[in-house]
Amino acid sequence: MDPQLVELTQLLERFKAACVRNDFSTCANLLSQLKVRLTGFPSLPPSFQETPNAVQELTIARDIFEHAVVLSVKTEDQDAFERDFFQLKPYYTDTSGIIPPSAQEYPILGLNLLRLLVQNRIAEFHTELELLPQSALENPCIKHAVELEQSFMEGAYNRVLSARQTVPHDTYVYFMDLLAKTVRDEIAGCSEKAYDYLSVNDAKKILMFSSDQELSEYITEEHPEWEINNGCVFFQKAKESQPSKEIPALQLINQTLSYARELERIV
Amino acid sequence: MTADVEMKEVQALSNSVSSAGVPSTLQHMKEIASLIEAGAQAKEVRRIVRAVRLTMMLRRKLRAPLVAAFLGYVLTPGSEVFAKLSSYLPKDDDHDMDVDTAASAVQGPAKHSIPELEIYCYLLVLIFLIDQKRYDEAKACSSASIARLRNMNRRTVDVLAARLYFYYSFTYELTNSLAEIRGTLLALHRMATLRRDELGQETLLNLLLRNYLHYNLYDQAEKLRSKAPRFEAHSNQQFCRYLFYLGKIRTIQLEYTDAKESLLQAARKAPVAARGFRIQCNKWAVIVRLLLGEIPERTVFMQKGMKKALTPYFELTNAVQIGDLELFRTVADKYSGTFSSDRTRNLIVRLRHNVIRTGLRNISISYSRISLADVARKLRLDSENPVADAESIVAKAIRDGAIDATIEHANGWMVSKETGDVYSTNEPQIAFNSRIAFCLNMHNEAVRALRFPPNSNKEKESEEKRRERQQQEQELAKHIAEEDDDF
Repeated sequence: MDPQLVELTQLLERFKAACVRNDFSTCANLLSQLKVRLTGFPSLPPSFQETPNAVQELTIARDIFEHAVVLSVKTEDQDAFERDFFQLKPYYTDTSGIIPPSAQEYPILGLNLLRLLVQNRIAEFHTELELLPQSALENPCIKHAVELEQSFMEGAYNRVLSARQTVPHDTYVYFMDLLAKTVRDEIAGCSEKAYDYLSVNDAKKILMFSSDQELSEYITEEHPEWEINNGCVFFQKAKESQPSKEIPALQLINQTLSYARELERIV
Repeated sequence: MTADVEMKEVQALSNSVSSAGVPSTLQHMKEIASLIEAGAQAKEVRRIVRAVRLTMMLRRKLRAPLVAAFLGYVLTPGSEVFAKLSSYLPKDDDHDMDVDTAASAVQGPAKHSIPELEIYCYLLVLIFLIDQKRYDEAKACSSASIARLRNMNRRTVDVLAARLYFYYSFTYELTNSLAEIRGTLLALHRMATLRRDELGQETLLNLLLRNYLHYNLYDQAEKLRSKAPRFEAHSNQQFCRYLFYLGKIRTIQLEYTDAKESLLQAARKAPVAARGFRIQCNKWAVIVRLLLGEIPERTVFMQKGMKKALTPYFELTNAVQIGDLELFRTVADKYSGTFSSDRTRNLIVRLRHNVIRTGLRNISISYSRISLADVARKLRLDSENPVADAESIVAKAIRDGAIDATIEHANGWMVSKETGDVYSTNEPQIAFNSRIAFCLNMHNEAVRALRFPPNSNKEKESEEKRRERQQQEQELAKHIAEEDDDF
């Protein structure tokens, strides 16, 4: 076997061990070494040269990037996640004829969908979704993310939150927690418009706070315009949608002049 | 998906009914050849365009001996191209057309082989092979033609080249190997851009978009589209396709308003004969409009020849209009096969949200006060905690402005507000303005699109004069070139 490959495998084993120990500084160190070594293999994307060890090399490289993605979730580094995921992606899309599919593929793709959802990049979410075959949508990891997006769009927020209990993979918890924060802000925004007032207890329940203290802190920080009176939270509704008293004169003049000009041109 | 590729073909066929030639087909083809020759010598692209159009009319009458005879007439027998092209033609000649094959082959002099004609022969053979469903030969032939085109830089070839690119991609699509040619197409697009061959760029950009979308690579498609140079469209058909692809990309990326505009424009601009293409456009347009919360008119579904194809989408529209989740689910299941093959399934999943919205709006209009439990029942939300779901769904609908209501949490009610008088706002004024703007814009574009024949009544006599002028110009050009050489 190629000595370079042997070295790489050994390094990978050490990296994996460090990952299991949650020794993040060693992990980061080993990972950058691994990535540098990967550049020396011509069989990897984007060149895809057909070297004799191509299958092994591709498998190892994919393994490395899969671990890198999981590591970035553990260290809660979203930028690193994005970078590593994009490095990993060609292995999923372009190597299907060369190496067998990875067991980690759908969990990681699902994780990426979840990340896009958390970052509110819905357009990219759907772009990624289109790439998946019909059969993949049945996979619990993908399904989880897809259903979350639907519930989120509908506004069924409690379904989003209860989905945290049914995560298909333990790496999902980090993003689910982030999602919970987003959901709370959404709920606050909706409540403001939908209710005139709420009792403090109800508000606490709806916004998922365990104590009055937390609620009032949240209000002073995020929504200082809300008032707490007699055990009720009053939302100051923006008084909009009133019939306009003022005539938008300038705008009307401009429009009329432009009609005149255009008509002139026609006649 | 292959439907819109057939756009040109259908059109061509409808024209070709003309009576079985009084002058033989070969005679026609010879005329076309001389037309191309004249076009090439006078550097008039228009004539070559016409030649290509005439060819499409003859398409049905192409037979192996006929093509062989034409090749013999146009190309130098024994030349490399001739050998190569004839090798693609089937050998088992069943001389059903005893045309003046022999005679013409002999009289075909060598002076004819100008590059335009050579490329035209490639095109002719390729079309013939595709029509005969000999896809492997067609693939070989198209690849050879592309290789030849690469080192040919003449503006008069561009029209023919654009057609060749199209059939090149088409053969690979028919053999389901589109991914292979992506690199070649990109290289060709770059080449066309460098040579300022706008028709080629247009065609190749569309082929690339099609290539990407075939594999659902919306991200790549959008990146290429947004960076590729844009200019006034040269060919209406290519422009329609571009709009269609653009609409699809925008739909996936949730830019529904823009997507609707592109798709509707594509459907309107497409030639009437391109039924498959227009059906595709309409399908996508219907979904986009539903996603926008609009309900397409019934006439959309009743268009001639589209009724059957659009039935699933018609039922879907019904379900959304009524706001009945149960019905929506039934329709989605019933036609899941159609939706999958149209690749609209994921979009239809997105529609669920709109069904709920419409249902909610209906409820809010009908009731001034309704309990959330009833809302959940009417919407047929099936979950563990329907009331809580209903509450947050209503809350979100209120925030997004879909309904005008408030929730009383303590009582578990939704109270609808009186609908205000729209005419007391600026709303009608804005709507009126946008319609006027649309009409004016349409008029302006129509004026801009008018085309006039090139000074036909002024210069009737000038056929000779023009030739003279051209000769002078050429001489001048030669002089300048020589002067350049001197330095």
